Amino acid sequence: MIELKNIFKWVNQGGNRIFLLKDIDLTINEGEFVSIMGPSGSGKSTLLNLIGMLDGFDEGEYNFMGQSVKNLKEKQRSEIYKQNVGFVFQAYHLIDELTVYENIETPLLYKDFKSSERKAMVSDILDRFNFVGKKDLFPNQLSGGQQQLVGIARALISRPKLILADEPTGNLNSKQGEEIMELFTKLNADEGVTIVQVTHSEKNAAYGSRVIHLLDGRMENK
Amino acid sequence: MFKNYLKIAIRNLYKNKIYSVINLVGLSAGITCCLLITLYVRHELSYDKFQEKGDRIARVIMEYNMGGNINKGNYTGTKVGPAFKKNFPEVEDFVKMMGSQQIVRYNDKLFTEKRFVFVDSNFFDVFSFRLLGGNPKTALASPNSVVLSQTVAKKYFGLENPIGKTIRVSGAGTDYLVAGIVEDCPANSQIKYNFIASFSSLSFAKGELTYWNANYTTYLLLKDKDAVRSLQPKIRAFMRNEMKGEFTGSDYLTYILEPFMDVHLYSEYPGFEMNGSITYIYIVGAVALLILIIACFTFINLCTAKSVERAKEIGIRKVAGAFKRQVFWQFIGESGLLVLLSASLSFILACLLLPAFNGLMGREISVSDLSSPALIAAGALIIVCISFLAGAYPAFILSAFQPVKVLKGAFKNTGSGLLLRRSLFVFQFIISVFLIISAFIVQKQLDFFQNEKLGFTKELVIILPADQRIIKKLALLKTELKQDPDIRYVSLADFEPCNIMGGYSMYNPEMPPGKVFSVFAGTVDQEYLKACDIGIVAGSDLSDQDIKDVSNEDYTKNYFHFILNESAAKQMGWNPEEAIGKKMFMDESRPGVVKAVVKDFHFSSLHNPIQPLILIPGTYGNILLLKTAGKDLSKTIPHIEKVWKTIAPHRPFEYSFLDENYKAMYKSEIRLGKAMNIFTALAITLALMGLFGLSSYTIQQRTKEIGILKVLGAPLQYIVSRLSGQFIRMVIIAVIISVPLAWWAMNSWLQDFSYHIELNAWYFIIPGIIAVLLSLLTVGVKAVKAASENPVKNLRVD
Repeated sequence: MIELKNIFKWVNQGGNRIFLLKDIDLTINEGEFVSIMGPSGSGKSTLLNLIGMLDGFDEGEYNFMGQSVKNLKEKQRSEIYKQNVGFVFQAYHLIDELTVYENIETPLLYKDFKSSERKAMVSDILDRFNFVGKKDLFPNQLSGGQQQLVGIARALISRPKLILADEPTGNLNSKQGEEIMELFTKLNADEGVTIVQVTHSEKNAAYGSRVIHLLDGRMENK
Repeated sequence: MFKNYLKIAIRNLYKNKIYSVINLVGLSAGITCCLLITLYVRHELSYDKFQEKGDRIARVIMEYNMGGNINKGNYTGTKVGPAFKKNFPEVEDFVKMMGSQQIVRYNDKLFTEKRFVFVDSNFFDVFSFRLLGGNPKTALASPNSVVLSQTVAKKYFGLENPIGKTIRVSGAGTDYLVAGIVEDCPANSQIKYNFIASFSSLSFAKGELTYWNANYTTYLLLKDKDAVRSLQPKIRAFMRNEMKGEFTGSDYLTYILEPFMDVHLYSEYPGFEMNGSITYIYIVGAVALLILIIACFTFINLCTAKSVERAKEIGIRKVAGAFKRQVFWQFIGESGLLVLLSASLSFILACLLLPAFNGLMGREISVSDLSSPALIAAGALIIVCISFLAGAYPAFILSAFQPVKVLKGAFKNTGSGLLLRRSLFVFQFIISVFLIISAFIVQKQLDFFQNEKLGFTKELVIILPADQRIIKKLALLKTELKQDPDIRYVSLADFEPCNIMGGYSMYNPEMPPGKVFSVFAGTVDQEYLKACDIGIVAGSDLSDQDIKDVSNEDYTKNYFHFILNESAAKQMGWNPEEAIGKKMFMDESRPGVVKAVVKDFHFSSLHNPIQPLILIPGTYGNILLLKTAGKDLSKTIPHIEKVWKTIAPHRPFEYSFLDENYKAMYKSEIRLGKAMNIFTALAITLALMGLFGLSSYTIQQRTKEIGILKVLGAPLQYIVSRLSGQFIRMVIIAVIISVPLAWWAMNSWLQDFSYHIELNAWYFIIPGIIAVLLSLLTVGVKAVKAASENPVKNLRVD
């Protein structure tokens, strides 16, 4: 599904080239649950964004589902991304002015679903997450754990094949974190959704089938 | 999707109440301004468009030179029309007209009526005014017939049919037969009437045709519209031939044709009401546009200021799969919603403000004009344009946000668009400061009108009308009025001392034969100089005997004692002392000597330099001037009314004050002043709102810097000055740019007046300081608040 070959990414700062990613070779197959670990500044999030096609790279080869990302136009890239990827953030990133229902609905707005279809899909996922009673609340009326659940629900609404999670439990207490991790495991096992998560915690990393360690932009073989 | 956008737009408006209100108020004010001004401009441009033959009509302007003084005006003698029709094939027809004021009585109804117009009988052929009753061909064919406007007919006759009835004109004067009813004259017509009477009713119209006695307006109906230009060159030669023998030397008489449709906006001579002016239209149009621009700039600045807060949402939307295009349209939609709201508000405001606006501009625009299809289309266009102009930039910036950067913790939209924002800001203040300076100077000039030493005293002089019947009883009237010791002088005269007309010529026996000077003149009696407090330089005031000398039954026996002003004496080559006793003539028919020379006084508007003036002793006049002591007008005026009712029962008791009439001469300047004050207040308020927005934005971005400075122990005033410094610098730049612009504009405006204030540096420094202080206050409040916040709170964010 994901194939990274000799990926380099850098920024130029004061005449020096600072490498964010160095020579990354990584293949992730469909149905895997991969955890990326490493200290702050090691390039975890950069790698995740790169996989999610939110960020570019300077050198190397990236194939997503057999297509070379590098040669795609912005629009095509967006299209592939829209069809296949869901993002979950550490800080949840819900739109404060929208209700739970509307937040979850947002990705569908950009995918040409009919209003009735959208309604059915959102109701469905609200059911699954036990959020029916809270659908008209605004994000600031929810706890952190609940907000993250909404964030995940939003990521799942368009039935992506790949979920990218950037420290999804980073702002949560351990019990809430466990719930989220169990949800991921279940999604991975039951529905075959590929999951790539960035995490600091060994415990969370253990939920995954594979762990990748990054240090200074380089993959470490353990 | 649309619903979602709408929802978020409304919730955002509600959440950022202060910003929404600022934007709403700003845009509404701007659009309201634009709407009203558009109405005004449309109204002005529509003048006389309803005249079907309008493009073939020309107004005749008379120009003549006597003794080197060139006179020009919208008056002509009775001969112009007939002579032109006979001699120029281009002329199809002509209409002579004269406006007047008459006293009209029907049964017990007695009013002084303005807009009582005398016209030739073919009036309704040439002009497209619809007759609602009566025959347009014959209604004005015979003397003493009159056509009433609908409103007038209702006023005098109520539900009766007025046709065939008679009204009495000029008090007990003449009966006029009502021969028709005409639609009320449109607001956008240079010809204004309430009564249209036959020209043949005028006694002096029956006499021999002459180029002189130019008291009438002549309109020519031409065979085709190009004739205005092709006919013009022939007139001079034609008139030279006509006046052969009457003129010597460089003296001449000629006529200039003005296209009828250009009169209202382009002519310096009014129609039957005050003219508009194309310059005025440009000025108000530009100002309205500038105010709209200020409002839009504020909108743009506030939108970008708020963009930091919207950044996250945009990031999320993009991560959720939104294209840049979709985000762009979302924000355009949001600005569209706000503009639509403002436009609706503006429409209501415009309806409410229209009466006041009409008062300000001196027009009669009706509310129904607001719903004309053209204006609604224009309104829709404005909405779309502003939505785009104001919305596009923020939308463009916002939609270009990179989700990776936005969503990854600290996001600062530094640098981008800073130059543009600052330029917009400086531009707003250039406009504002320009307007402040202009308003300030216009006000100073208006004060100058009021306070300038005019050479006569305008206060406490009551003006009453006079006519033949009143003049007959003048002695009695004077005695009766003076029963009240507060009434010091009563003078009969042609004119108020601030409004004396020209059109006379004079000469003295020492001058070469045939040479004359044209002068301003009016009749006065022995109390005029005292009533008006006009100073005598040499000689003495008129005596009772001087008046008797001009009261002979056989007017050829009259002998005149003239009063000259200093300029007139100077023109004759006399100094005041040697002028006394010199022989001179006015218009040949009035021989006499110089009795006195008075100090130059401003007998016409301060637009014009003081010209030679001669006051002629006389026994007739149009007005009575009553100089009062002004101790208790509430007692004096009832006394005058009582006397008036017994001596002049044929006239309604109507009076005015000289100082008010004087003020009315500067109507258009006072109007400009008021408009300037309103526009200026609006502009500076909107600009300050913009400043508030921009400073909030900057300060919001600099919270970290403020926090660090505080932790390092920087004092409050250092932080505040650091925060406000850049804004104040920009305001100062704006002041520096606007000063020369304002100087240039105001200097050229002042050149219109022969007597005006001198521009001095303070007129620019004071408005500049005001602008800087207001800005300082606006930024200061925000800066102090930011600087007093707990630094820990700000530093923790990152």
